[in-house]
Formats: sequence, structure tokens, C-alpha cells
Amino acid sequence: MNLRVSHLSVCLAALFCAAQSLGADLAGYQKSVAPFFKTYCVKCHGPEKSKGGIAVHTLGGDLSAGQELEKWESVLEMLGMGEMPPSDERQPTKAEVLAVRDWIEAGLRDYVKKASAVKSEPQTRRLTNVEYENTLSDLLGFEFAVIGDLPEDPEHHYHFNNTAELMRIGPEQLDRYLEIARRAMRSAIVDAEKPQVIKVRERFQPSGSHSGQAKDEFSALISKFNGSQTAKLMVSGPPLTGEFRFRMSASALLVPGFDEIPFETFMGMPIDGDHTEKPHRILGTAYLSNSPDEPKVYEFRGRIENIPYSTATDKKTGATVHRRELQSQIIFDNGEPNSGNGFSHYQRQFSLLRAVVNWIEFEVPVVDVWPPKHHTDILFESPLRNTNEAAYVRAVLERFMSRAYRRPASGAEVERFVKAYALIRPTVPTFEEAMRETLALVLVAPRFLYHTESDREMDEHYAMASRLSYFLWTSMPDRELLDLAARKKLGDPAVIEQQVLRLLADEKSQRFVKNFTLQWMSIKKSLTVPINNDLYPHFLKLRRAGEVAGTEFPYRPSIRKYMMEETIGFVGELIRQNKSALSVVNSDFAYLNERLAAHYGVEGVKGMRMRPVPIKQEHNIGGLLTHGSVLIGNGTGTAPHPIYRAVWLREAILGDSVAPPPSDIPALSDSGESLEKALSIAQLLAKHRTVESCNDCHFRLDPWGLPFEQYNAIGKFQPKVPKDGARIAPFNDTQHGDLKGYQKYLDTIQTIEVNAKSRVPHGPEVNGMHELKAYLLKEHKTHIAENVIRRLLAYGIGRSLTYRDRFAVKEIFSQNEKKHFLMRDVIVSICRSDVFKESAANPKK
Amino acid sequence: MKQKSWHLNRRDFLKGAGVALALPYLNAMECMAKAAPRTAGKPLPKRFMGIYISYGVYQPDGPNGIPQKKPDGTYQHHDWSWWPQGAPGAITSFNKSSEPFRELKDNVTYLRGLDHKSGYKLGGHSSGDVFLTGANMGETESANNISIDQLMASHHSGQTRHSSLVIGTEGGTGSYLKTKTMSHRGPGKAIPSMHKPQEIFSRLFNPYGDKGVEQVRAGLKRDASLLDLLLDDSKSFHRLLGVEDQRKMDEYLESVREIEKRVESTSMWTHTPLPNMDTKGLNLEVNHKMPREYIRVMYDLAYLAFLTDQTRFATFMTESENSQDSELWNYANYALGYKGATHDIAHKRPADFSGQWDLWRNENHAYFLKRLASTKEGDGTMLDNTLVFYGSAHPHNSHSGVNYPLQLAGGRNMGFKHGQLHEFVDGKKVPLSNLFVTMLQAMEVPTEKFADSTGTLNQLLRA
Repeated sequence: MNLRVSHLSVCLAALFCAAQSLGADLAGYQKSVAPFFKTYCVKCHGPEKSKGGIAVHTLGGDLSAGQELEKWESVLEMLGMGEMPPSDERQPTKAEVLAVRDWIEAGLRDYVKKASAVKSEPQTRRLTNVEYENTLSDLLGFEFAVIGDLPEDPEHHYHFNNTAELMRIGPEQLDRYLEIARRAMRSAIVDAEKPQVIKVRERFQPSGSHSGQAKDEFSALISKFNGSQTAKLMVSGPPLTGEFRFRMSASALLVPGFDEIPFETFMGMPIDGDHTEKPHRILGTAYLSNSPDEPKVYEFRGRIENIPYSTATDKKTGATVHRRELQSQIIFDNGEPNSGNGFSHYQRQFSLLRAVVNWIEFEVPVVDVWPPKHHTDILFESPLRNTNEAAYVRAVLERFMSRAYRRPASGAEVERFVKAYALIRPTVPTFEEAMRETLALVLVAPRFLYHTESDREMDEHYAMASRLSYFLWTSMPDRELLDLAARKKLGDPAVIEQQVLRLLADEKSQRFVKNFTLQWMSIKKSLTVPINNDLYPHFLKLRRAGEVAGTEFPYRPSIRKYMMEETIGFVGELIRQNKSALSVVNSDFAYLNERLAAHYGVEGVKGMRMRPVPIKQEHNIGGLLTHGSVLIGNGTGTAPHPIYRAVWLREAILGDSVAPPPSDIPALSDSGESLEKALSIAQLLAKHRTVESCNDCHFRLDPWGLPFEQYNAIGKFQPKVPKDGARIAPFNDTQHGDLKGYQKYLDTIQTIEVNAKSRVPHGPEVNGMHELKAYLLKEHKTHIAENVIRRLLAYGIGRSLTYRDRFAVKEIFSQNEKKHFLMRDVIVSICRSDVFKESAANPKK
Repeated sequence: MKQKSWHLNRRDFLKGAGVALALPYLNAMECMAKAAPRTAGKPLPKRFMGIYISYGVYQPDGPNGIPQKKPDGTYQHHDWSWWPQGAPGAITSFNKSSEPFRELKDNVTYLRGLDHKSGYKLGGHSSGDVFLTGANMGETESANNISIDQLMASHHSGQTRHSSLVIGTEGGTGSYLKTKTMSHRGPGKAIPSMHKPQEIFSRLFNPYGDKGVEQVRAGLKRDASLLDLLLDDSKSFHRLLGVEDQRKMDEYLESVREIEKRVESTSMWTHTPLPNMDTKGLNLEVNHKMPREYIRVMYDLAYLAFLTDQTRFATFMTESENSQDSELWNYANYALGYKGATHDIAHKRPADFSGQWDLWRNENHAYFLKRLASTKEGDGTMLDNTLVFYGSAHPHNSHSGVNYPLQLAGGRNMGFKHGQLHEFVDGKKVPLSNLFVTMLQAMEVPTEKFADSTGTLNQLLRA
């Protein structure tokens, strides 16, 4: 049959002949799509050129065949974004574009409706390292840090790694799982007799002053030679497991302008005078506000297994000793320059701000209740234990496995591990030892290590319980969820909604917010971008002479760490306060502490606790676009990088996927000298765009990045840049030693108004960030909201979305459009959607 | 060095001579120099070791790691260049940093202009990931792929107690694009490198700890039964999945089977006595603050593993490009007194430290090669039976991924000839994978193509 596509080339006609019967909409194709392609597309996407891998003449006119639907969807996206045809080509009318979009949209919808055509993609995937650690901790009932012992999970920028494609397994990984499982069970099941307790205590005398400071006083000052002043304690003893308790009697000597002192305790490998950081862990931060007349006792608990140690040999006995050092210090930091040289403003003020510590005490393990609860939760009291060991083992296994598998364990499943127990018991001396080994084996079984929602025997309610908890807690379901599953309640939309709200209100949802945000935003790189200290002498905490100038001070939270918290906390607030998803572009609040507020120039924020702070337009922040983590991570440390920032905006906010540059083109690279010298990057880019192969991508990229130029490489609003070729006056401690002086210094360097003007593709000219944001919120609302929905959905169901999910996304979109996409409501919609349920339920095929 | 950092116990050696360890022990003994009696008829082993140095090397004599050719046909050459001489061809001189290899002139080959195209897109700190794999992680592959040492090891499995030895200075696998190991079993299957000398020694020479062989065997038997149960359990899960998911789960089943195989193999090897090695003179407590001692003990352990035929395939990642979190960051400081991070040398290329840093690394590597070259084996030396591949995935500038600095040593009995500096810069780019094909073939691994190879580099072989 001849489909009469004579307006396209003849060879195409042949291709079309192979297509199936005339679709009902073929008429539509011929009427609006084919002419459209011929007029506007085929020049660059046809038989002669196929830019971007798209050649429209090869796309069949019958979508019901299910061929190349991904490509059809990207055509749809391109038209939807208004990116194609390029602005220097002949432009179609709005009506023409709409007709084509409607036709594609309808065709895709018809195809997806024929559910039988759905290609099943693997859903079975192992737990990510984060999920694994959380699941293990929740299962055992205590925090058990293992991520450091596992091969690191792959990371793909702007994508989530909880997919079947990326979560792979090999023998080494399995080996590690077994090792960790054995270690976990050694901690979870204790021996019958109480272990030896190590208790160390240090008193600090309120006398014996040096430079006007008593031995129990620790000031906020960081000195060039001695670092922070810390209260120290060394803990050494035989290797052991268990809960520890750290206690401290402390108070604060406050000076005017301060309400509290953040006093942080960390513990890890002994420091031995190194200037580099040793592995350690933060035990907690006490916010001291009580006066020395009323010292208070502060307490932190944790597990000793999680604290890094160094080993030594006891010279007398030859036994192995684990050594750990604990230190408490003030982490107050208001952003004042601290050169480490004396007499600065910083030094005068902060030598007076002091924590007073009467004593500190460390005790491990805590044996108030013995055996501990996590032990009796597994090896519970039962008369069977002494009368019928086999029955007792079976009961223990059934209870443990039903939690580990996140659903009731079947008789056959339990029996296999009963057999394992029988094999193990004769080879080890004690019952506890045999149980440890048996249960460790459960922890390497696939039903523990894998997401098992696609297991055919998995009940849909249990599948839903797991899906919800891995989405919103990054961990296994708790008792309430499992109970609801047992009562078959998790199909009820009202119950789902109520559970989503409960899960989000729980502290465990912080794990979701963090895991989700870090991957979505791809901001981890902001921690490693090397900052140019000549241009930004005071960005990093401590500036010392020579090669280590501008290092971040060891063992102290850095501003870059706070910036990560800012981004995570911001997304967390959007959910917690149920704010509009459009807030990712602009918001009336920021998530800050005093250090960050000083950096961004927001006044009146006191203290180190991160919190939502109302902001005004003149602060030039708001939304995610101006976060330090985003701007630094997408800069070079010396200059902003408009391309990185443009890619980030398009990927993370607008939801496009930007292809990496081909390898055979001249690079406008991140490390190229040209970039560091070229302060006017706009000019450099303009030059780059004169090459056609560069222009093809860059005309769609650069315009998005240029308005970001108002923000410098350290993520600060700075609409001026240094004059090209001008000599930069050196930073001077005595003149620029406080925040005001520092700003003055920067002003003397930065003298030229930056060019942040740009014409967005198919849009107006925008000048700077304010106009860019306004434009985005006016013209790209749909993309922004849809992107947030897509990210949450993809993360929630643990796979990349395809064209098949298009309509699920649209449905969630329209459910939330009226109320401007309130974040929490969107999450509820996702969890109640069919696609979420389907993913949670067994495919039955 | 005053004292050799390894030592074979003479009494155990004499005892060991009675058991069937067909190994050239004698050279390992300090006072003896004669060749060891070999069990007649047993072919000489074929070994391979890949060694990685990071951050590139010092090459001030031309852009992109290639010395510039002057109009008169001669080449730019800097005294401290990593290349022993400017011009390609027979090696006639060794300059300052390559000096340690002078004695090994007839055992080394330099290769210039080769690289993995697949590494170009991985960014300045990541092309080391694919140094031995050539995987196209930037574009077509979502994970790394099998490394040549593992391809060799899997092809020759069962010949030695350990199929391979994977060591490094930082340990573990690292992450995607931040590797801490050179060896990969396949996509998503990085092999964690071992970095603690004591642990490596125990793994090699005292794997049973305090347990008797009988007890070990009983334990292994139990483990095998337990793994069977686990496999049963896994299959019961596997059966309940759709086809696509089953394929995914196969990875898990394969992993369990692989561990089972290892248990079997370990059990089998309990019937072969372990070489008796004491730790005298071997400073296993060495730490990163003593970089020279540390690196050499690691080399010694590889040497001993080869010597006692515990394995025939090894990789050693002496540095990674992502060592901010470890003491490696300060290596150049401890070793040379350079006031800054080792990584800074690559960026700043200070004239008085860059060449010295290369020299320091070359001294360590030459120490290992000389150790192999001075141990007799068969009619030749251990080096003749060991192919050693040494280099970095960056040239001069640490952020470039073209034209790796590469050196090949040993392997004479596999057909390699030496004493040349080969340059591959004219005409079409020659993939490094071509060399891999030649090396794999030399190791008797039937290979026509590896990664992006377009042929072989058989010109490195004797005609």
C-alpha cells in the first residue's frame, strides 16, 4: 500500500510501506505533521544531516507500531520548550506547533493505553549503600555505620542511583556484605556475661590560668599555631562493641551580642599533631547558654563501632588496643576574617567568648540493662528456649526474617535457615555464636539485599509498605506500616495519604530529603572545587601563609558544608511547610545560619543553627539558583562558569537532558588557562559560537548561563568584576581584617559592571538573575513544576521515566496545578498514583 | 638499602625443598646466588603486573606529553623530562629522572602517544579509572569493564592459590570516576585493592591464622554447604521474577557461585603447603608517613607473591587522582620536603620538584624491576617471565587525558624485545588497547579485540 508521502523523499515512502495498517490518525500526520517536518525540520534533521541524532524522515507516521517513541517524545519536548526550530530559522506559527504536538501526544497516549505493549524493565535492584545502612540500622535497633566499608555506589549527575541499571552486584560486594553482616550480628547479639566497662573522666580546673584564661575555659578563638581550643579525652582499650555515653558538665561565658555557644564534640583516630583531618565522627553539638553558676550536664550517645580508631599493641600484654580521641570545641563562626595573625578584630572579640567545662566523661558499653534491648528483640525470652531449642530457633528466625524481608517469611524460607543453623551449631562453641552466624546469612539473602516488590509472591500491601518507606525514609517499613499491610489497608488512598504525612513528619524523612536533594542537585562537587585565594582571600576559614594558604580549618564545619546543608534544608522546608514547587526558582525565605547570612549579606541572623529566614529582594538570593553550593559547584573557583551553570539550570530545574560536548571539538575547558584569564566569558563564548558545530549546542545553552554571571565563583552576588589586566592589590590583614574592611577590599578589586544580559532562546532579553527568574516563572512554570514531579516520581519508583510515564506525570501535574504544586501534596499524589502502585505491585507476568 | 626487606627462613626453605614447590627460592635467600632447581618439565610461569602512578609526569619538552620536533629533525629534550631521551628509536641515554632504569636498559621499552580515547570525557581526575580497562564510561558504558589483568587471571585460573593480587596505597574500590583500584572483574565489579602490608602478608602467607589445616578444611566444607543453602534460597526468589528481573538477579547468583568456587579452590589449595615466610626484615607496620618504605614493602610483597607462585597477576595503584582524604596527599612532602600537596606538583609543575618527584617514583619502580631481574629463574630471570606495565593516564598536565607516559618492562620469554622508545604520533591515533591485545596474546589469552582496539602492537615483539 502506498502511503502517499511524496512530499518526503522517495526512499522514505519505501520505509513507510513497511509500516502497519493505516492508523486512524495517519490523516492527521499527513495533514499537519509531515508538512511541518518538511518545512521546518528536515533541513537539519533529515537525510542530509541528523543533528542531535534526530532524523524526522525516519520517524514513521504511525505511533501505534511503538517504534522510536523515545524520539517522538524528544521531538515533543523540543517543540514544547520552544527550542526548535532555532531562532535564526524560519519559524512556524503557534497553531502549527500545537497541531503537531497534539498529534504526537495523542499517538503516545493511545499507545501507552494498550498496556499489553508495555515493555517490562527490570525493577529488581539491590539496596543502595545508603538504603542498606539505614535498613540494617533500623532492623537491628541501633545506628550501624557501614558505608565506608562498602564499594562506593556509582553517581550520575542529575540522576538517581536507585535504579536496576546502576545497582549491580559482584562477588566482592557480596563478600563485603557477609563481612558486615557478621560484624553486625556480633554487635546485635551479646554474650551472656556483662562485658568489662571502660570509663574515662577528665576534670578541668577553674584555675591555673594562662593568658588570662583558666584551664576549664575554651575560647572561640582559632589560633594560627594551636588551632581550636578543645577539651580532650583519650579512650583506649580492647576492641569492643556497644553503646557509649558521653557526658559533659558545661556552661558558657557569653559576651554582649551572643545568646548561646555551639559546642561540638567529635571523636575518632588520635590526632597526633597532624594538620590533616583524621577519620572521625561528630557526637553532637551542645548549645550552651547557661552561666557557670549553673553548670548543666549534656549527654550524647552512640555506638562505639561507628567511631574510627587506630590500633596499637599493648607493650606489656601484646594485646591489640583500640585508641580513640575525643575533643569538644566551639564552632561559632560569624564569617569575620581570621588571618590567624594576632590583633585582628576577630581575635579581640572571640578570645572572650568561652565555653566552661567542669568535666567530661566517656563510658562504654552502657550496661544499665543487660542484655540490651537490641539483643532481646532478636533472642527474646521464651520458655521454648530451654525446652525445645529447634522450635525456639525456628521462632527466632521467623520473627527476624519477617522484619528483614519486610514481609512475613514463609515456612519454606525459614526452614532453609533452620538447616543452616543445624550445619553451623556443631562448629561453634555457643548458641549465641551459632545464631549470629545464621542470622548473618539471612542478611546476605537476596530478599534482604534486594528490593523485592516485583517478586510475584509479594503481597501488594507489603510491596506498598516498602515502596513508601524506601521513598520517604530511605529504609525499611516500620511496625505501623507492616501492620497496615497485614491488615490489607494500604490500597486505600486515605490511608496512603495519612501514612505519607506520618512518614514525612518523622525525623527519618531527613534521610530522604538529603539523599534525594544531593543527587538531584548534583552539588557534592562544590566541596572540592579549589577556590582561588588570591581573589577570595577570606572565603575559607583560616588563611595561613605559604602553600596551605586558605585551607579549611581541620575538624571544623566549613562554609561549604553549611552550603550543602542550606540546599538540603531548603528542599526540606519546601516539603515541611508544603510550599509550592515553583519555589525552587524563587522563594521568600532562605535556609541559613549566621555564617551563611554573613556570606550572602543578610543581616540579623544569629547563631549557628540552620533555619528558614525571611529574605527581601535586595538580598539577591531566593530559590535554588543562587545557592552557594550550586554556584561554587558550577564555577571554577576563580570565575563563574556560565556553561556549567546553564547545564545545571536546564538539567536540575527545567528537566532537560543536556548532551556532553563531543570529544573532537575545541574545549572551552574548566582548566584551560584561557578561561582563568578571560574575565569576560561572554566574549569567549560569543567567539565559540561562531563555529557551527559549537553553535548547534551553545545557542541553546549559553543564554541560560549568562545571567548567572552576577554571582561570583564563591557564590556571592557580585555584579562587578575586576578590570581585565589590572593589577590586583594584595589583601592586607590590618586594613581588611574585618567584614567591612574585607568588603572594601573586594570593592577596590571589582570595578567593572558585569555583563549579565542575554537573549533566552525564543524569549526576551533578560538582564541578570532577577529578570531570569521572573521570565522562568512566567514562561516555564510548566517545565519547572513538571520537572519537580518527574524527579520525585523517578526517585520514588526507582527507575528512569520513559515516554510511558508521560501521562502519569501529566495526571499528577493536573491534580496539583490549581494549588500551585504544593510539595507535600505532590508527594501524596505520587504515592497514590497508579504508576507508584504498579511499581510497587508484582507484575504478574 | 642496608637490609633486604624480605627474608626467607632458611630452615623452612630446606624443609620446603622437599615439597613440591617448583620455585626459584634460592635467589630469595640472602646468601645464595645459584639458580633454584626446577621441577623438570614444568613450563615457566607467565606473569603480568600493572602499576599506576597518578597526576601525570614532568614533560616540559613539548605540549601534550610529546617532545617537540625541531626544524632540524632533532627533538626538544629537558634534563628532567620523564622520557629518557627526546628522539624515538633505540634508547641511548637516560636522563635525570629515568636514571634508575639505566641498568635495565635492555629490559625496558618506552611508549609515547598512546592513550584510551574513552578516558577523554571522564575529566581530569578520572581517566585513571579506565587505565587497564579502556572502558567507555563517558559514553556507552554505565560502569567500568574488565581489566586486562583480570582477563588474564580468569583465563589462567586455578594455576595458583590466588588468581590475582590487587594492591594499592589507599585501599578499597573507590567510586565511579574516583577509583582506588586498577582491577575490575567486569561492569560494576571493581575488586577492592588491599593497602595494609600486614593484611596482604597474612593473606598470602598465613591465610589460616591460628587454625590448623584440618580445622580450616572443615570450616570451608561447612561454608560450602551454607552457600548451597543460600543458592537454593536465591533460586527460589529468582523463580518468582519476570524475565528482565531474572536477568538482573543472575548477577547475584553468579556472585554466590563465584564465592563457592573460591571456597572450593581455597579448600583444594589447603592440600598444598604454604610457602613458609617469616616477616623478619619486612616492615609490615610501615605507614604512609614513610612513603619510600611503604611503597617498597608493597612492591616486595608483590615480588614475594610472584616468587612463591602464590599468584601470577597483580596490579598496584601507587597513587590515585582522588587522594584528598588520605596521607597520600602529602607524599611529596614526606618524600621530598615539597611544601604542598602531591597533586599541586602536577598543577604548578615547580621546576625543582617535578622531575625529582618522577625520579622518586622511578627509583621505587626500578627497585622492583631490579629485584625481578636479579632473581634467576630457568635460564633467565624472573623479569623475563614477568611483563610489567607502568604509567599514568595523564601526561604533563594532570587534567589532560591524551598521550599517556608508559613504560613496558620484562616479559622477554613472552616474546617482548626492549631498548626502544616507540612513538605513535603521526597519522591515525593508535589506541592503547592495541598494546593490550598484544599483551593478552602474549599471555596466551586468545584475543582479537579489546575495548576500542583496531589491531595489535606486535612490533614490540621479537620477529
